[in-house]
Order: sequence, then C-alpha cells, then structure tokens
Amino acid sequence: MDAEAMKMLGAGLAMGLGALGPALGIGILGFGAMQALGRNPEARGAIMTNMILAIAFAEAIGIYCLIVAIILGML
Amino acid sequence: MPKLGLKSKVAIGIFVALLLMLIGGLFFPAPRPDIHLSANYGGESPEPFYRLGPIYITNTLIASWISILVLIGFFYFATRKMKLVPRGLQNLAETVVETLLGFVEGVAGKENGRRFFPIIATIFLFVIMNAWMGLLPIFNVIGTGHTGTSDTLFWGKYSGFMVDTALFRPANTDINVPLMLALVSFMAVEYWGITTVGFRQYAGKFFRYRQLLHGLGQLIRGRIKSAVGILFYGAIDVFVGVLELVSECVRIVSFTFRLFGNMTAGEVLLLMMAFLIPVVIAVPFYGLEMILGFVQALIFAGLTLVFATVAVTPHEAEHD
Repeated sequence: MDAEAMKMLGAGLAMGLGALGPALGIGILGFGAMQALGRNPEARGAIMTNMILAIAFAEAIGIYCLIVAIILGML
Repeated sequence: MPKLGLKSKVAIGIFVALLLMLIGGLFFPAPRPDIHLSANYGGESPEPFYRLGPIYITNTLIASWISILVLIGFFYFATRKMKLVPRGLQNLAETVVETLLGFVEGVAGKENGRRFFPIIATIFLFVIMNAWMGLLPIFNVIGTGHTGTSDTLFWGKYSGFMVDTALFRPANTDINVPLMLALVSFMAVEYWGITTVGFRQYAGKFFRYRQLLHGLGQLIRGRIKSAVGILFYGAIDVFVGVLELVSECVRIVSFTFRLFGNMTAGEVLLLMMAFLIPVVIAVPFYGLEMILGFVQALIFAGLTLVFATVAVTPHEAEHD
C-alpha cells in the first residue's frame, strides 16, 4: 500500500462517505418543511426562510468533505 | 410561418442543442482545467503579480477591487439626482435597499434591525457582487499561459493557448476573502453583544460559575444533600459555558469554509462542464451558479444577523 494509492483512496472515501450525512440531513429538513407547509400554508415565508437557513448549516459539512477531497487530490 | 405545436418546438429545441454541441465540440473544444486552491497559481508555485510591501496583488484582489468599484459606482449614480418618485437606477437601488431592510428587520426587530443593517447589507452585497461577477466571460480565461496540448474527453486533442495564471479570478475563491468576512462578522457580533448587554453579562454566558459557587456555599454550610445536586448541575453549567465559547470561535472556521467551499466548487464545476461538453451543458450550470451565489450571500448575512440577534438578547436569569 504505497502513499499514492492511499491518497487516492482517501480522497474518494472522503467525498463519498462525507456526502451521506448532509444529504440525509437535508432530506429530513425538506420532509419537515413539507409537512409544516401542508399543515399551515399561510406560514410559507417563515417556514422557507428557516428551512434555507438550516439547509445551509447541513450543507457546510458536505463542503468541508469536498475541501478535504480536493486537498488530498492535490497533494 | 405555420403555427408550431409543443412537440415540434421541443424537437426543434433538442435538434438545435445537439447541433450546438457538435459544432462547439469540433471547433471550440476546451482544455482540461487545472484546479488549484491558491489564488495566483502559475505553472509551479503561486507568485503574486506584485508585492506592495506586505500586500500581495493577486488576481482575486483585482477582482474584488472591480466589484467594490461597481458597487460604489452603482450607488453613486443611483443617488445623484434623487426624485421623490424614483425612476431607473434609483428605483433599482431603492428596491434592493428596501428588500434588505425588510429582511433584516424581520429577523432582528425594528430598532436592532436599523443598527445591524449597514454591516449585514454590506456583507450581502459584497458577497453577491463577487459571486455574480465571477460568471462574466472575462474571469478565469484572460491571463498569462503557455501554448500546449491537452486531451479532451470526446473531441480529440485541444492544442492552443492554455491559461496558467488568470488575470481575473472570482474573489470568493481566494480563502482570504471568506476569512476576512467571517472575522468581520465575528467582531461585529461580539461588539454588538458587549455594547448592548454589558461586558459582565455577555461574558457570563461563557463563564458560568455561579451555580458551582452556590453549590460550594451549600457544601460549606453543611447541607450535603442539596449541595451534591447543585454541584453536579454547576459542573455541567461550567462545561456548557466552555462549549459555547468554543462554538463561538469555531463559527469563524465554519463561515469561512462554507463560502469558500461553495464558491470554489462552483468554479471547478463550471470549468469541468465546459471541458466535458463545450457549449450546451454549461448553461444550466450557470443558472445553478447564479442561484448559489445569491443563496450563499443570503446565508452569510442571515447567519450573522441571527447570531447578532441572539447576542443582544438579555440573558434571562435562571435560578432554581
């Protein structure tokens, strides 16, 4: 197992496994937002604003994994 | 011209797209993009264009100067001869300012909203101007480079000019710009918090020793049974305070990498798409990039606003 192979494996695993969590998190957020919207269509503004805010938090973690993968690819 | 039904319009659209793809691929292929995270990458190692003492003049710095000039010019020309009923540029500026003010006041309330508005609106406008100007055709393609060949995926070899050091690069892809914005937002939130609720109460959010001292007082007076419970919760309180302090500081890192990662990933995505299928595929990704630029600016300004609102809320006393 030389360093080159481990680097490539690390880059692929970093992005692949790292995208799992944020994707699931954003899906759960969307589910909750759809349910809330269905129950109370009038609160659309507040629901959408808070959903976008929470999605940004979840997505940032996926971006960290992307940075790690890019850095591993460049090393 | 005879009236075209929907199906024939779709068929003509697909045919034109395929034709553009073929023409673009055969006559205008794109070289394989060189992905680098540092700003002024040219050939072997990053070298800025010019060193002005401690300041490095890089392509991202030039791009941020351009967006600053565009913003200043826009607002200067919009407020030159102001009429009561706005038209033209003044109308656009008023719409932008009113929408932002409505957003800020919606989250922070009326008087706090007025106080937070300048910094939040500046962060939003700077980020969105940087992000959208990065989509202009002059960014990332004009620069110093070398003539060489590179393989393209389906379209044979590309031989021609390949850019090494671009003259303009979107300012958000340099890690210093998101870091600067994150530090500014952190310092602004701390400043607003300390000037609103006072230093002792604001620091009391992070150094919570009151319950622990209360528990020790109970222990000294000899009431062991109640002291144990209060000591336990006091220790947890101290730990929670430390966790809050750490989370305040980690917010800087999180803001930086969120903006930097989104913008760099977007730039790499556009270059890769142009490399894969020359003319057609880049168009929907340009739309994605425009939406993403707007959303990231909104997130940055909105998160700063939310944390500032939390920081200026007086801490409700918790006594048991």
